[in-house]
Amino acid sequence: MGLVTIAVRNIWRNKLRTALTLSAVTVLVIFFLLLRTVIWSWTASAEQASQDRIGTRHKVSFIMQLPARYVEEMRSIPGITKVAHASWFGAKDPNHTDDFFSTIAVEPKPFLEVYDEIKVPKDQVEAWAQDRQGALVGDVLAKKRGWKIGQKIVLQGTIYPGDWEFHISGIYTADSPTVDRSTLWFQYKYLDESRPPRLQDQVGWIMARIDNPGRAAEIAKAVDKKFEDRDIQTLSMSERALQASFLGMVSAILRLIDIVSIVMVLIMGLILGNTIAMGVRERTHEYGVLRAIGFLPKHIVIFILSEGLFLGMLGGVIGLAIGYPFVQKGMGPAMEENLGAFFAFFRVTPELVVISFLLAAGLGLVAAIIPARTASKLEVVSALRRVG
Amino acid sequence: MSEAEKGASKGTMISLEKVRKSFQRGREQLDVLAGLDLKIEEGSFEALMGPSGSGKSTLLNLIAGLDQPTSGKVIIGGADVGAMNEGQRANWRASNIGFVFQTYNLMPVLTAVENVELPLLLAKLPAAERRKRAEIALRAVGLEDRGGHLPSQLSGGQEQRVTIARAIVTDPKIIVADEPTGDLDRHSADEILKLLEKLNTEFGKTIVMVTHDPAAAERAKTVHRLDKGVLAN
Repeated sequence: MGLVTIAVRNIWRNKLRTALTLSAVTVLVIFFLLLRTVIWSWTASAEQASQDRIGTRHKVSFIMQLPARYVEEMRSIPGITKVAHASWFGAKDPNHTDDFFSTIAVEPKPFLEVYDEIKVPKDQVEAWAQDRQGALVGDVLAKKRGWKIGQKIVLQGTIYPGDWEFHISGIYTADSPTVDRSTLWFQYKYLDESRPPRLQDQVGWIMARIDNPGRAAEIAKAVDKKFEDRDIQTLSMSERALQASFLGMVSAILRLIDIVSIVMVLIMGLILGNTIAMGVRERTHEYGVLRAIGFLPKHIVIFILSEGLFLGMLGGVIGLAIGYPFVQKGMGPAMEENLGAFFAFFRVTPELVVISFLLAAGLGLVAAIIPARTASKLEVVSALRRVG
Repeated sequence: MSEAEKGASKGTMISLEKVRKSFQRGREQLDVLAGLDLKIEEGSFEALMGPSGSGKSTLLNLIAGLDQPTSGKVIIGGADVGAMNEGQRANWRASNIGFVFQTYNLMPVLTAVENVELPLLLAKLPAAERRKRAEIALRAVGLEDRGGHLPSQLSGGQEQRVTIARAIVTDPKIIVADEPTGDLDRHSADEILKLLEKLNTEFGKTIVMVTHDPAAAERAKTVHRLDKGVLAN
């Protein structure tokens, strides 16, 4: 038995209060995990973006198109090794109109060369390349819809209205967790030939592989310089910067989530502090007895800080024991399946688990500082006079 | 060497010389002890009696080193306790004073034996040695079979015996008891008083007891009556 043992046992003196406090901390830890995972998941694509890819878009806006000939012209720029283009299509499954998934037109082989983290069996790549209406779908989307290779599906176009028939040529997976496995990629040829002549020979954006990641900024500048005298100018940047510019559009939301998660931490600290302060106030007389029999103010401080630390640690452990499987096994797969375009990989990172635990434990400790200081400064005789 | 210190060296365990203790209550100064002189011999059993507000508990607090006099000397076992700082007094109390309170003041989350062991946490003893000494102290108060019980599972008399075991576990020279029978029925009170007598006669402990109970005071070798901060006898 030691001071810490007594402190730990003291936590259970008022079981209802402790249970309510732990419940509150548990809920806060779960929400903290959830909110931080939202932020992490949203920003992970930018942080984990390929170092050796640059993206080029219309200088004015993402939604404006580039001439398709720019793709060929970019191949001649020194440092660029492979080039692919993509065009946002926008379509819905008529049977599930509320479910969103990305539909993007690409040229199969160049696209898979530039995005080599996307994994597709070779025969499926060949089948896709040879079928004008062929489509490559992510395994998460295929599983959700029950789509099989060889199946014909019909989607409703939103930008290009009408029914569009596709043939599932292949199902892709990915060796990077941040790749959205709920996208339908299809042949650009099919899109381009089906749309009005005035919209043909245009692409949404161009992605290029470069030979030296250290020269990404320099090569991006060279691309923009090449087109600076044209009617349509470009804005090029590394894939990371491109992803970051996407995030810039939702930065206010991310900031808000960030603030809410910090407020939760503060609430957690206040709840812990209140519980510890109430317990300490009720036990003032006992601290007086301890002081009388020879314990020093520092012992009282250790006693109360240990109690706060243990309470915080316990809240953290329970919160993680419930919150981790809740996010990892419950919400994570659901978010990836239904909102894969935004949350391709919605999982709790090991770092977040450690941070959440340390935060809960640290808050317990910090919340106990003022009660500990107050109790340690009490005069023995005054403390002995206090009852309850 | 002062008179008080000389006295202490001749078998006087407790020596108070012109001790005053005043408290400030707003603008008013309250003199609780007014120049009190007291000598208690080593191995004595003394009772302090007097009406409420007469200064009994304040005197006991000074003897126990819980408080400091406003003026005067408090020499206990040759040590000038009144001149010690808070940390020195805490260390001194840990090895020289055993406390018995009216309301027992046991830690409710600790078993009887753990409560008795509590003061030994300051002695830097191995855990096994601490437990052994706590069990011996419990045996001395006749509660060796209640070591694993929580205070809530004990009667008032048993709780007070655990408190006495806690008071003697560090083998202090002095035991101070503040109304030790105040919360007990007559039968339990008699048992506690017998135990205190035993500690005094068999183990040579100097006991200073504050009490309102004349039956308890009868067990003491000397009864001091306090009134308005001075000893009446």
